Amino acid sequence: MIALEGVTARVGDFAVEDVSFDVPQGAYGIVIGPTGAGKTTLVEAIAGLVPITGGRLTLGGTEVTHAPPERRRLSIVYQHAYLFPHLTVRENVDYGSDSSRTTVELLERFGLAEVAGRNVRVLSGGERQLVALARALARRPEVLLLDEPFAALDPRRRTSVRRELRTIYFERRFTVLQVTHDFHEAGLLGDVAVVLERGRVLQAGKPEDLFRRPASPAVADFLGAENVFAGVATPIRDEAPDWVQSPDADTIEHAVAFTTGAVTLYALGHIIPGTAHAVIRADDVSLSRTPVSTSVRNQFRGRVMDIAPAGAITRVTLDVSGLPLVAAVTTRSAQELQLAPGAEVYAAFKATAVHLC
Amino acid sequence: MTARPSRLGAVPTVLASLAASLFLLFLVAPLAGLVGTGGVAGMRLLFTDAELRSALVLTALSATLATGIGVVGATPVAYALARGRFRGRAVVSAIIDLPLLIPHPVAGIALLLVLARGTPLGEALSVFGARITGSVFGIVCAMLFVSAPLFVSAAREAFDRVDPRFEGVARTLGDSRWAALRRVTLPLAWRGLLAAAIVMWARAVSEFGAIVILVYHPRVASVLSYERFTTEGLKGAIPVAAILVLLALVPLVALRALRGDGGLPSRRR
Repeated sequence: MIALEGVTARVGDFAVEDVSFDVPQGAYGIVIGPTGAGKTTLVEAIAGLVPITGGRLTLGGTEVTHAPPERRRLSIVYQHAYLFPHLTVRENVDYGSDSSRTTVELLERFGLAEVAGRNVRVLSGGERQLVALARALARRPEVLLLDEPFAALDPRRRTSVRRELRTIYFERRFTVLQVTHDFHEAGLLGDVAVVLERGRVLQAGKPEDLFRRPASPAVADFLGAENVFAGVATPIRDEAPDWVQSPDADTIEHAVAFTTGAVTLYALGHIIPGTAHAVIRADDVSLSRTPVSTSVRNQFRGRVMDIAPAGAITRVTLDVSGLPLVAAVTTRSAQELQLAPGAEVYAAFKATAVHLC
Repeated sequence: MTARPSRLGAVPTVLASLAASLFLLFLVAPLAGLVGTGGVAGMRLLFTDAELRSALVLTALSATLATGIGVVGATPVAYALARGRFRGRAVVSAIIDLPLLIPHPVAGIALLLVLARGTPLGEALSVFGARITGSVFGIVCAMLFVSAPLFVSAAREAFDRVDPRFEGVARTLGDSRWAALRRVTLPLAWRGLLAAAIVMWARAVSEFGAIVILVYHPRVASVLSYERFTTEGLKGAIPVAAILVLLALVPLVALRALRGDGGLPSRRR
């Protein structure tokens, strides 16, 4: 378990400030953020390599805010591996290993037995990363910190290293905190995701919650939401038929009319009237060539501006009364609809697919 | 149309080559002249002149002792300056570099002021039978004072070249701060540290100004060459000076070999 309460750590002029989040025991946490967000400073503060100047850090139930790194029962793997260049592959893996048996086991498991006697300088990028991972795991850490460990690998190597890590993770169930700037990785791997920018947490929670209900347009934008619109939210009267009370009695959800440019969307939310942002994931938008009679509250006529096929998915950008709306449909559907730039289409999405923030 | 190289473009190259040649000539000519004139006689003196032999042995041993003390005392200082982020680091660095900038007889006078008999430190040393004037102890002190800053500077660079993240990884793998230093940092920095020690040793061997203030007897090689010059003139000083130049090549060659400088440009990878 990793628990941060208002943690502040400083490196030169840069600081991560007032960072709070929890990664439960055995869970896989992801820290996402753009370059320079403070992700590495944060993991190094958790590792004890950057001093924590404020707040409280708990690992596995023990407070370790000011404990030295060697007493934290964790390991760290950096993007550039930092293998000890004066040692062989075996000596690197054995460095902090709990037993020579564990070392041999990991060397075999990661396919490194054949290169065990070699100096690490002659290894390829993928092999180096595997050695770094094996070295970190040989210590049998309770917490594994990964600082963009797959970023320098080619896609095929990345998949195989990631698979190997996942297998060991499911076997041993240690707690992982991985840093990445790739939000797809967060969706693929994480139980908990933390969005960091300029040293501060913008949002923390389950990855699907972050994707579906980003706390701010900045989070939505960073997490790759295709449709983020600024506008004005106006709650619809309580006596209207679509007034809704949420199961949680403390929060009341209203039907909301959200106006952006010449377009008014229909949404649900508990939001203060006034300026806000609406976020709609492209895969929540469906397309048809004729208006259809459905339960969806948002249906708009638009013109195709751009079609971008990417494998099985095609992203279609529409002009809806001046509003650029992106829909993600299967490439087969796009072909069957005979979409082409300038073609008239109807876009539809549910009120529940519109997230207001 | 192809552009033709301008003749004017060659002028800076010619001027730069001329300046470089004159500069190299200025450095090499006196040394080559000295070795050419007195090299053979100097080598002969090595077998016949017992005073020269003992001066050379005294010089080498004193420099080795000074370097040993310097390595033990200055390595932690260099490490602290490379890794530490403490207030006053720039001031500490400047103070350590100071002996490099002051005239070396002034360094000798400063040592005399603090370590001579009659001073609290001098009296404390005399309890152990050590005195700074006219003794090997004085020679070692003078050598240490003027050459240790070079070691600190070079050793600090050697530590700077080792990324602190290596130490960080070692510590997450269970090492204490000392264990990480011993198992990772020192093995990665040893070439630089050895080079720093060689530079310090070479500088200690060549010291004259501070030593001559403290210790005229027993004579180290530099003091002997000066004495031969004042008593026998140029003719008597040249063979001794030539042998010192030839011996100075030994640490320089060792240094270049350590840095892997084989004279060929390294190939880009």
